[in-house]
Amino acid sequence: MAENRVLIIGGGSGGIIAANLLAEEGKKVTLVTDSPVHFFQPANLFIAFRGEPPEKYSRSVNSLLHQNVELILEKVTKLDLENRFAITEKNRKLDYDVVVVAAGASLDYDSLPGMRESLNRFGDYYSTPQSAVRLWETIRGLKKGKFVIGVPDLIIKCPPAPHKGTFLSASFFKKEKRDVSVELLYPSPHAYTEAELARTIEKKMEEFGNISVRTSFLIDSIDVERKVVVGMNGEEVAYDALAVIPFHKGPKIEINPADARDEDGFIKVDKNKLSISSYDDAYAIGDCTNAPTSKTGVAAHLGAFTVWRRIRGENAVYTGRTNCPMITDNEAIFVISDYENKPVGQRFSKLKRLMEDLFVSMYFPSLMHPRKFEPIFNAYFEATEPSVLGERGW
Amino acid sequence: MGEKKLVDARGMACPGPIAKLTRAYREAKNGDIIEVLATDQGFVADVKSWTESTGNKLVELKQDSSGVIRAVIEVTAKK
Repeated sequence: MAENRVLIIGGGSGGIIAANLLAEEGKKVTLVTDSPVHFFQPANLFIAFRGEPPEKYSRSVNSLLHQNVELILEKVTKLDLENRFAITEKNRKLDYDVVVVAAGASLDYDSLPGMRESLNRFGDYYSTPQSAVRLWETIRGLKKGKFVIGVPDLIIKCPPAPHKGTFLSASFFKKEKRDVSVELLYPSPHAYTEAELARTIEKKMEEFGNISVRTSFLIDSIDVERKVVVGMNGEEVAYDALAVIPFHKGPKIEINPADARDEDGFIKVDKNKLSISSYDDAYAIGDCTNAPTSKTGVAAHLGAFTVWRRIRGENAVYTGRTNCPMITDNEAIFVISDYENKPVGQRFSKLKRLMEDLFVSMYFPSLMHPRKFEPIFNAYFEATEPSVLGERGW
Repeated sequence: MGEKKLVDARGMACPGPIAKLTRAYREAKNGDIIEVLATDQGFVADVKSWTESTGNKLVELKQDSSGVIRAVIEVTAKK
């Protein structure tokens, strides 16, 4: 059969779920990734602001894959959609009948002066678990002053992550009774990109007492000598410690044809079918695409299911559904939206925080056995459908 | 006269339009014109407060009968 050889590029959650779904029903699946370890990315926050160990959230990619998936630990450097093959750094040629690109976004620390020096000095919670450990050392060592979280750009993984970092660091400083304030520098006119949610978040930040937020602040550069963040209008914000969210670009893979990617390197997909440009044998899911939804694990997870169904011949679509948790130490809200519906209004609650903990505990098993967990996720998605929650909020 | 740049954010939900405007603004210099097309209804209020609080000039803000919002911004607040 023509569609038997499926090549999956990337060992993140989307790639692993797609591989396992397809292998379970007898497709010949090859997954190629340059990292032998799969890391649960949101846990960078727990490492950076609570000092949890990275090992708790790391598994070998191999241990998460169905036994019939062939795993190749090499970096893909080229993908030829016209002639249906990929090339790895070791010049291995991988032919396919269907390809699923789940290669994630690449992070850029060099397009803003001072950003890489700040990363090296203070750490961050976007790049690697090791860098999150570095940030934990920074946070732990900060006895007084100001911790600044800077957001130069809004096309980022996990849009609520800057706020999560703000809340979790502020909690830590409060609990330790330290004279440290936290300031969020944010480029949109409100503390979150959607105005109604922003009001909820701004109120919560006020309750904390040690959080401030500067909106419409566009970061131009970081002066590491003087320890100030410089805005595009010349305004300066002083810091004692700093975490800057990096710029996000598409994956570093050369693709033929070149116009399958947009100007930032993200792969152009049909936002519902997730097929790449005009190809019916090539799909892309998760952070590597230009789909106008959030860069978040939920999009990769649902995208993997959509692609699996389409490869089976079903007419499945991805609706743009998001479910991004924004947590404090003991409360949470979820940013729930889709292509047709703006984020649903939310109230912070302890129950939602518990739900987030439950999702985290289900994470690795749900990658290994996606079909087993499907009814649980479906029940949740159905109960929290944006068009149903709509104006009444949640 | 500065350069003119078109940002097409039609069909993009929040934060699409402001995210794309921010990226264009990063590349721009004083005197440039940025024209944004968007369909996200929240963008009308957002672009007003964004230009006001960043100190740039909102030259035009219109919505046509099909719902497309057109915002023309003159870049004036770069250092």
